[in-house]
Amino acid sequence: MNGRKSFGAKKGGRAGAGAQGKDGQRRPMFRRRKVCKFCSDKIDDINYKDTKLLLPFVPERAKILPRRISGTCALHQRKLRVALMRARQLALIPYTAE
Amino acid sequence: MTRKYELVYVVSPEASDDQVTDLHTQVEAIVQRIGGSIEKTENWGRRRLAYEIGRHKEGTYVLEVLHGTGELMKEIDRRLKVTDLIIRHLVVRVDEAEAVVERTKARRSATSQRRRVARGLPADRQPGEGQRGDPDDDRDDRFDMGNERGMDR
Repeated sequence: MNGRKSFGAKKGGRAGAGAQGKDGQRRPMFRRRKVCKFCSDKIDDINYKDTKLLLPFVPERAKILPRRISGTCALHQRKLRVALMRARQLALIPYTAE
Repeated sequence: MTRKYELVYVVSPEASDDQVTDLHTQVEAIVQRIGGSIEKTENWGRRRLAYEIGRHKEGTYVLEVLHGTGELMKEIDRRLKVTDLIIRHLVVRVDEAEAVVERTKARRSATSQRRRVARGLPADRQPGEGQRGDPDDDRDDRFDMGNERGMDR
């Protein structure tokens, strides 16, 4: 994920929404279009052994982050799911967490 | 029909280093008996488990890359299941997935070369070209994400 770019764009988007308030019209807040991390970084192999790669997709409750939030494309979400489930079996990644 | 498999097993933390190597020789013996080969063995050492298995909180991870038949893996699977020292194991067939990865990589580089030639550029990327800097930089970036997860949601 291109960290620098995404942070800048998000912040800029919020400021822009505030500025639009003055002409009285309610416009939908600008949201940065999400892109699939695996497509943009050209990661072909989603491997269950690569915990560093998988961890951002398991939030605190250790559930798999849904596509609508992470922006992962359908193909890569499927592969990611398989990898996560394998990693869970080997106790590299938790099934649940309080 | 020989296929490529990956085998990862988690050995109980109480096991000594000798016992871990002993398990490896046991696997090797089965491979030799039934027919197959070991491509590589990796010992990841002792790691914290993400959750408790039985009463264990740690385990020694060992990865083996094998070439062999389904029969061989069946036998290894059976043996690992009955071995008390092994608290968890996983067998994955990897040859097909690897072929897919290779194909996508080849296709991508072919497309990029074709496009670059069409634009009158040399087929391969020149050093120092493009907005993106050092590719190693990006990898570092990704490693940072592990610590502050949730940042890129």
